Amino acid sequence: MSHSEKATLFNKDEAKVNWHDKALWFVREKRDTAAHKVKGWEELRNLASGIKANVLSNLDEYLIEFEEKAKKNGIKVHWASNAEEHNKIVHKILVDNKAKKVVKSKSMLTEECHLNPYLEAKGIEVIDTDLGERIVQLAKEPPSHIVLPAIHKTKEEVDELFQEHLGTKPSNGNPEYLTNEARKHLRDKFIKADAAITGVNFAVAETGGIVVCTNEGNADMGAHLAKTHIASMGIEKIIPKEEHLGVFLRLLARSATGQPITTYSSHFNTPAPGTEMHIVIVDNGRTEQLSRADFRSSLSCIRCGACMNTCPIYRRSGGHSYDATIPGPIGSILSPGKDLTKHSSLPFASTLCGSCSDVCPVKINIHEQLYKWRQLIVKDVKQPFVKKVILKTTGWLMARPKLFNLLGKSGRFMLKYAPRFMVYSKLNAWGKSRELPTIEKENFNQWYKNRSKNG
Amino acid sequence: MGRESILKSIKRNKPELVTIPEVDLNLFAEKLDVIETFKSNVQLVGGNLREMSQNEELDTVITALYPKAQRIVSQIPGSNLGTISITKEADPHSLENIDLAIIKGEFGVAENGSVWVSENQFPVRVLPFITNDLVLVLSKEDVCLHMHDAYKKIADRERSFGLFISGPSKTADIEQCLVIGAQGAMSLTVILV
Repeated sequence: MSHSEKATLFNKDEAKVNWHDKALWFVREKRDTAAHKVKGWEELRNLASGIKANVLSNLDEYLIEFEEKAKKNGIKVHWASNAEEHNKIVHKILVDNKAKKVVKSKSMLTEECHLNPYLEAKGIEVIDTDLGERIVQLAKEPPSHIVLPAIHKTKEEVDELFQEHLGTKPSNGNPEYLTNEARKHLRDKFIKADAAITGVNFAVAETGGIVVCTNEGNADMGAHLAKTHIASMGIEKIIPKEEHLGVFLRLLARSATGQPITTYSSHFNTPAPGTEMHIVIVDNGRTEQLSRADFRSSLSCIRCGACMNTCPIYRRSGGHSYDATIPGPIGSILSPGKDLTKHSSLPFASTLCGSCSDVCPVKINIHEQLYKWRQLIVKDVKQPFVKKVILKTTGWLMARPKLFNLLGKSGRFMLKYAPRFMVYSKLNAWGKSRELPTIEKENFNQWYKNRSKNG
Repeated sequence: MGRESILKSIKRNKPELVTIPEVDLNLFAEKLDVIETFKSNVQLVGGNLREMSQNEELDTVITALYPKAQRIVSQIPGSNLGTISITKEADPHSLENIDLAIIKGEFGVAENGSVWVSENQFPVRVLPFITNDLVLVLSKEDVCLHMHDAYKKIADRERSFGLFISGPSKTADIEQCLVIGAQGAMSLTVILV
């Protein structure tokens, strides 16, 4: 199914769409408030963008440096070319440590690799411990947002899920009660876990250390209780020096949720005595994206989700309509690089308004890349017949100004005087679920000319 | 093997070297009252802030804040409230039912109300997360302006485990309603001495 078809399904529940739209816009506004409080915010974005550009141009050297330092600190480093290798490596570490119960904190990479079903098929229990991720795990759904995984669920739906799976009492969706019940449930899982899997927000080449950011404290509860800690990271998570964390940690949470920093920003440099720490460095299509000059800067993404919160399409179509691990504008420029045919509708799920690029903390030119993907897709992937005919006809018509003006005039006449059932018919997509604006007598050209005449 | 093929592929596909930008701290310099900014940001992120006056006792202040706490781990030399003492060898699971942990904060960061704590200040890594409530004791002289200064302060540390803590654990994963007390500590109080 294409993005627009899935978005149509999401739009069947109008009240929910409106809520979703407003909730995400509220997060966008919180981001603005937080950003405006920082002196030199735009300079911070420039720095972050520049540092990431340097990283991509020297990535192999930084990874080698990172590996060397991490190993010196007693961390075991593994490399995986693709999802399958990643999952095999993780499974082997778990088997070697006789781990049967695993707690996992948020990691979009392990979602991308479909690690959970892989491990579950081998008899290992995997519990997602971020509250939003636990909710979608219980609902057997993928996250719909990279920072707010369960943003598509109402509190009543969460209430029902918890009643069924955690044995909670009906509470009309009381968030405090439900969060507290989840806390108890997850504490039990933390205490019993043999191993913890976390993501990586930043990996510092200079020190061989990693930084993991959470608000809930779930990554730390897992990693510090279990005997084995496995951290999975994409190759692009590297930053050159520890002082650069000063730049990125100032940007990340403000862009994501409008907080000045996440509750916990944990710096792991050595395993705790008596425990093992592993880092799995994953490619899975990233080096291929690195080869594409027009699209490589998409690898600078720090996964804040700001582009989703601001996107008028994302807010009204929901994360699941993208059918990709990373939804929204950034997902729409990353996913076509992995499978152009499967994700060919995503670069069209945009108005090209550019709001995503405006809020991106590392200044990725997201909307320009969306446009560039479109150019490639219309060449490589068969487009719908109607779209082709309409575009061809429009091109032909635009080249004939006299005819265009005549049709414009008669069009305006028809829209004004034709009966309602004709104007708001199936043929007019602009009349779906909305009233058209009142029709003026003149077109813009005429209006402009008359206006100049009158001074 | 993954490693060689990944590195080879990067070498082949990476663009020409882009120089790394210098971080010019003049861009971020601000003349503001760092203590006042820190205090208001601790509260913004959901933490409690308690400033001690000269004639107050630390233990009296903490007991007044957490009167019900019984299983207390104190890592502060000036406090006698600790009822459970732990060593580096302690099994982290044994801390499951700790009511209160009192830890020294090394320094605070005004711009975001966070406090840097490192493994030097607590013997078992899970302590600040697994405790029900957390008190960080911080000297007023140890508050810096922003994260750039913060990383300068910890540049020469012995690196094992350390973190910035900003407020109590929290989540807004159910319909965007903010709930304090997720998987980590239910409350955080920063005591400025």
